Amino acid sequence: MSQAKIPVDSILRYLAESTEEAKEKSQKASEVLLGDLDTDISQTPYEIVYQEDRVRLKYYKPEKIKHKIPLLVVYALINRETMLDLQPGRSVVKNFLENGIEVYMIDWGYPGRKDQFITIGDHINLYMNDMVEFIRKKHDISKINLMGICMGGTFSVIYAALYPEKIKNMVTTVTPTNFDTDQGLLHVWMKNTSAEQMGPVYGNMPADIMNLGFLLLNPARLIIDKYIGFIQNMDNKTFVENFVRMEKWIFDSPDVPAATFKQFIEDFYKKNLLIKNKLIIDGKRVDLKKITMPLLNFYGKYDHLVPPEACNLLPKKVGSKDVEDICLDTGHIGIYVSSKCQQAFAPKISQWLKEREDEM
Amino acid sequence: MDQGSEKNQKTETMDPAKMYELWLKAATNFWENLARMPAGENDMFKFFSQHQKGSSYQAQQAWERGAQIAASFIAMLSEPENLETLFKATDTVPEFFMKISRQVWEGCLETHKTWAESAVRIGKHEKAYNFDDIDHETFNTIRKIYEKEFQRYFYIPKIGLTRYSQERASTAMDKYNVFQTALSEFIYMFYVPLEKSMVVMQEKVKEMVEKGEIKENYKEYYSIWIKILEEHYSVLLQSPEYTEVMDRTIKALATYRQTRDELTYDLLKNLPIPTNREMDELYREFYELKKKVRELSVKVENQK
Repeated sequence: MSQAKIPVDSILRYLAESTEEAKEKSQKASEVLLGDLDTDISQTPYEIVYQEDRVRLKYYKPEKIKHKIPLLVVYALINRETMLDLQPGRSVVKNFLENGIEVYMIDWGYPGRKDQFITIGDHINLYMNDMVEFIRKKHDISKINLMGICMGGTFSVIYAALYPEKIKNMVTTVTPTNFDTDQGLLHVWMKNTSAEQMGPVYGNMPADIMNLGFLLLNPARLIIDKYIGFIQNMDNKTFVENFVRMEKWIFDSPDVPAATFKQFIEDFYKKNLLIKNKLIIDGKRVDLKKITMPLLNFYGKYDHLVPPEACNLLPKKVGSKDVEDICLDTGHIGIYVSSKCQQAFAPKISQWLKEREDEM
Repeated sequence: MDQGSEKNQKTETMDPAKMYELWLKAATNFWENLARMPAGENDMFKFFSQHQKGSSYQAQQAWERGAQIAASFIAMLSEPENLETLFKATDTVPEFFMKISRQVWEGCLETHKTWAESAVRIGKHEKAYNFDDIDHETFNTIRKIYEKEFQRYFYIPKIGLTRYSQERASTAMDKYNVFQTALSEFIYMFYVPLEKSMVVMQEKVKEMVEKGEIKENYKEYYSIWIKILEEHYSVLLQSPEYTEVMDRTIKALATYRQTRDELTYDLLKNLPIPTNREMDELYREFYELKKKVRELSVKVENQK
């Protein structure tokens, strides 16, 4: 008798085992979901030291201050700065504090309809500059350290070019400066669609529409597989807590002021003016050659939102001679939250800043 | 009375001209008698005299004038030449109504004909774009049919006091239809990889069965399928066709929202609440004023 091509008996056995396993899993999952879960984000204590309109300046004080110059972190307008302090074991903020850095972080708040006319120039020349002034006065120093994240990195680059006398060292992380690339889908879509029309008709660019756009970058993984993974691990309390923390962060998205969104799409994605030194902000040309302070540039090899090609041109375009480019084997968010990057990212920045503290 | 004379008499009494003449005489006599009637004998004048003493004389005068005008008009109608014209016209009444009815009916027929022609053209579009190739051309065809055959009905010129409101309402309806068409195409595009990945998966399973490589763990099938699906989406999302559909949907949504808001402002302006448009104007003024104040503050600070 020839052997059956399909091992029906073992398939049925496996199904029976799986059914038993699923039953146990669902019982445990209900215990986990109905039990106490620690899903709080941004747990590191901070103080609000300055506020202008809806924009606040958070201050994180280390137990022992080891750096003379404080660090101002500028987050993007998309999503929130809480990503840098997602959970105790994976907190960039906590890591900086442990290294003795005083951290200031801009919380852009939630723009309302009244904020629709606020431009990129207002974000940089008004809010950012006022906060830099506040820190300079408070610490009685002429220069501070600046760190930008994603779009906040782009703002930081512009700020450093317009006010080089106020910045001692600059760190850019997953910062798009070259928008003329087809590596990332986001770049292709923003260049070839009329996305800028959305802001004015809604008052501001709605965060939910932007989030939908991000999910559509990889629907199979982000809409289907991610939640299948959640169902498979619902009985694992730690997994559920981390998953919910990430969900809280991803969908806690402020709208982007219409004027800023429109300007970002037109001048950056469509015309790529920044890297060409042709960008005009409030009547002033942004010349990257004026960035003469040390620059540390981080980006992710597998970043699907800001691909390496969008980040790695900056060091060649600035006027600084002290430039370091670091490409990590991770994606857009992995740089900040993945366990493998915890040592390669924040400690590296602390060390890099410390080395340049006394240099003039 | 024989049957013939009865018939003649009937014809005579049925003659509308004679009947009309008799009625006119009766009407003229009535109005003349009424006008000559002394005010005191008229119940209506009695009533007015009792309740509006000061104006009783004026009322009587007005009554007499009115009755005289009515009597003169009826007397004028009874003149032979006017009667003749009137009866000629009376003869033409049925013809006149027939003519109007015919024209109205022809108008209706013409409209139906135009609609029927539109429907025929829809069939022609179907052939031209071929529904067999449903993935690529269906939505294109629907859109073109809508644009060529239906959209123009929303833009028939509006008239009258509420023409602008009508215009805004019909524009919003049109833009809603355009947006729905674009959105359907956009959603459909996301369904295509799901369908195609299933087909590929079926072929793969068939191949595995033939080779005897059946997996016992169903999770492995899911892993294979999700990879296939991801690849399909990757190809779709990078295609210029997808970007084009996405762009069309964004534009349609933006236009629909604008026209819908215009219509909403129309409705809201009658209510005691501020509209977004009014608030936006205020926000702009606040924004500009704040900038100006800031600029001036910096100047003052620098002069200290």
